[in-house]
Order: sequence, then C-alpha cells, then structure tokens
Amino acid sequence: MSVQERKKALRFLFEPLVDKLGYKFTPAEGDADFLLEQEAEIEALTGIPYCPCQARTDDRAENMKIVCPCIPFHRAHYDAMKRCWCGLFVHKDVTDPDKLVQISESKFKAGIK
Amino acid sequence: MKKITIYALSTCLWCKKTKQYFEDKKVPFEAVDYDRQDPEKQAEIRKEMKSAGCDTSFPFIKIGGTCTQGYDPAEFERLLEKK
Repeated sequence: MSVQERKKALRFLFEPLVDKLGYKFTPAEGDADFLLEQEAEIEALTGIPYCPCQARTDDRAENMKIVCPCIPFHRAHYDAMKRCWCGLFVHKDVTDPDKLVQISESKFKAGIK
Repeated sequence: MKKITIYALSTCLWCKKTKQYFEDKKVPFEAVDYDRQDPEKQAEIRKEMKSAGCDTSFPFIKIGGTCTQGYDPAEFERLLEKK
C-alpha cells in the first residue's frame, strides 16, 4: 500500500475513534494532510503510526502512549489545549485551530495556560 | 544576541513552524533533528529535556538560558526580549 493510500486508510480508521472522544480532524486541511503523511511514513518505517511530534525511546511501554490517536493517554492535557499535541485532532467545536496554543505537559501540570 | 537552539523532529509540523518563525524574524538559530541523531546524541537530548522538567515532545527550544516546549510565538517573543 502506498503512503498516499495509507493516508486515506488512516483517516478512515481514525475518524470514528476520535469522534467518540469528542475530537475531529483539524479543519486546517494542509496541516492534517502533512501530519497524516508523516504518520504513514513512520508506520512504513516502524510498523506503527506513532505521533510525528513526540519522540520514541527504547521504552516500549512509553512508546505505546504516543501511538496515534494518543488522546486517551493524555486526555486532561489535550482537553486543556482543545487539541492533541501534534494538532491532527481538535475538539469538535474548534473552527480556528491556529488560535490554539501548544501547552507543554510540564506547564499544564503546573497549571500554566 | 541570545543563542537559540531548537530540538526538533523532522516529522513534526510545529517544529517546521518554529523554525519558520525564527527564519521570518531573521534570528539565527541552530536546529537539531532528534530523529536524525545517533542513539548516544538522542539519549543526551532526552536527558537535557528531562533535566529541564520536560517530556520528549517537540519542539523543545532553548533561548539564552531558558527552555520552552511547543510552538508558542508569544512565548518566543517574551523570551527573546527578556533581559
């Protein structure tokens, strides 16, 4: 399966999953396309569609927390941002994703917005 | 002029936008793509991020002596101007 075909398949697979979590694909179509392409390529390399904006380490248990869609492992943090870390998914009510800011986990835990 | 280092992932959209932000402002920076480094350098980067109290999410940016994580132009602006 080509990267382009896999991008379509990932979009088809992820949509119902994130819908149940109250999320949708970012309306920033160019960003969604880029991120899905990165994930398809990471999956072709590793066998798993890991998040393109978080590092994999040699700790498999930790790596499982960044398998897309990784929202359930970071629920409170991502809900605070109304987006996931890489921005592929946003809350269903988001219409202008460019206004959403990345809040690091350390800042979130310290209560800094 | 403060020294700026960006730890990034070559696959990360917000790392691209962070680099673009500093390029647009004509502020020189050094960019290190974590996923293109050897394991020893990767371990070194992870250790540095952890000692700054951060997890391994990217981008991770050092502006002078201060670190920040995530694409946040307002924060970049604040740290650039900070005395």
